[in-house]
Amino acid sequence: MDAAIELRDVTLQRRTQEEFHYDLKRTFFDLLRGRMRRGRKRTVLDGISLRLERGEKVALIGPNGSGKSTLLKVIANVLVPTRGAVRIKGTVAPLIELGVGFEPELSLVDNIVYYGVLLGHDEALVKANVDGILEFAELAEVRDEPTKTLSSGMTARLGFAIATQFRPDILLLDEILAVGDERFRRKCAARIERFWDAHSTIVLVSHDMAYIAATCDRVIWVDHGAVHFDGPSADGVARYLATIPSGNGFARGEELIAVAQRNPRGEIVVRGTSPTDQGRKVFLIRDGLRHWVTTQAWYDKCGYGWDDIVHVDDTAILEVPEGEILA
Amino acid sequence: MATALNDSFVTGNTRRNLQLVRISAFRALKVRYRGTALGILWSFTNPVLMTAVYTAIFGATFSKFYDGSVVRYVISAFVGLVVVTFFMNATSEALTSVVANGSLLNKIALPPAIFPLAAVGANVFQQGVTSFPIVFVISLVVTHDPVRAILVPVVLAGVVLLVTGASLALAALFVFFRDLPHLWQIVGFILWFSSPLFYPIELVSPQIRPWYNLNPVGQAITALREVTIARGPIHYRPIVVLLFTGIVWVVLGAWFFRAKRRDFMDLL
Repeated sequence: MDAAIELRDVTLQRRTQEEFHYDLKRTFFDLLRGRMRRGRKRTVLDGISLRLERGEKVALIGPNGSGKSTLLKVIANVLVPTRGAVRIKGTVAPLIELGVGFEPELSLVDNIVYYGVLLGHDEALVKANVDGILEFAELAEVRDEPTKTLSSGMTARLGFAIATQFRPDILLLDEILAVGDERFRRKCAARIERFWDAHSTIVLVSHDMAYIAATCDRVIWVDHGAVHFDGPSADGVARYLATIPSGNGFARGEELIAVAQRNPRGEIVVRGTSPTDQGRKVFLIRDGLRHWVTTQAWYDKCGYGWDDIVHVDDTAILEVPEGEILA
Repeated sequence: MATALNDSFVTGNTRRNLQLVRISAFRALKVRYRGTALGILWSFTNPVLMTAVYTAIFGATFSKFYDGSVVRYVISAFVGLVVVTFFMNATSEALTSVVANGSLLNKIALPPAIFPLAAVGANVFQQGVTSFPIVFVISLVVTHDPVRAILVPVVLAGVVLLVTGASLALAALFVFFRDLPHLWQIVGFILWFSSPLFYPIELVSPQIRPWYNLNPVGQAITALREVTIARGPIHYRPIVVLLFTGIVWVVLGAWFFRAKRRDFMDLL
């Protein structure tokens, strides 16, 4: 198979910003006194080797600050590694921090053209697609308004629409699913779904384990700048969730954290965040292989209700007898 | 050591890079002149107003150095001011350009040099539709010498080379030293006053002339005056000196920018 992305022993060291004093005057006097200090470097990525085949859907997971987003930027060629080799085959669409870089004074149309060209597309092609982009972002009526009049949600919508207008060979997503309101999110998800079907290689950074398990083939768990685990997504997600302490240890604001494990009695136990929010997704892994993304509707369908979920502190546990078919 | 292949994906495509520079330059122009009635003509007001001020204050006194002609003083001052304002505007704008686009560079793989080059490009365009053609016309009208007029673009190209070299170096330095604009402002004043702008070069004492002549902006002004108001046979020396200095600056600026480019991303 064709490798779309290949990283060989990639190490990245970055200067810690706070150590560096952006100051000519002080540097000059330090130099005079003979105590010029060099900025200290921190190893952000430590000998990462990866090979992603064409069409693979891969999620990068790991705690905050572990190097996931940095790794994504190395793949996007935004950051050049200190050592090692990066080989990318095909066009890359980086969906990182959407909406950054718009010029607030200029019209939407001007920003679309500018942004599209920056993203690597030909000016004429972008111009021909302006209407399509505006239509998807649902901002056609304000096309000639200055971009500063948009709300932050609208700006993110515009960023998403530009970045996904052209089908890339490789799509990089950094927490992409937080664009706009619920309805627009679904629209975005549907568009990304199309890339999923279209043999694009997708690399996703996310904390949404349910989404990852449902959509990705493979999980790469990054910890302290190194690959901690690399394998099938269900397996990776289960292992990752198992390391997160139940109860108050759950990270707040994350869409879902839940894991199914077999208890000593042979029953499958689903552990997750408290499903007190209506419709919150709960995630189930059976036999560590199969998985479902579930909502209230799922519980209703398979005969369980919220009431069957036992709450232990902040953890929700649903006990399911072994062999029960839950789909 | 790291990844030559990946690098060339970004830097190798000249056509795309030119498109990036062009579109960034016009974006800057659009932002600057959005909602101004006079639009691009504003860039022209600075040299014109300064010429008027200089002439009002010094015209009568200094005209004796210009064959007793106030008109020649006016032209001389204007030609000099075109060079100095272009030089300072373009370099000051380029200076902040890489840092100002830091957030973009952090999300899209782009050659960072496009930003200072776009700043220079925007200023070249701006002067290219205002003062540069006027300098050309002045040359034709004043000298009646087509050779001199043809040399006007050559001299201006030399100025653009100077500006480009300085811009690349300054934009790279500003990533590391955020107090650079203050220093550059001071340097600007020094260049301004050590150029024969509003006073005749004859006033500068011969002892410091060798030092004085090192000022590249002064060299550029001298060269441009040679092709706009000078008389008699053309002195090619100042033009050659300017072109040579310009090429040296571009090479040094580009080399410095390239050498430091790798370190940018840690500080943006």
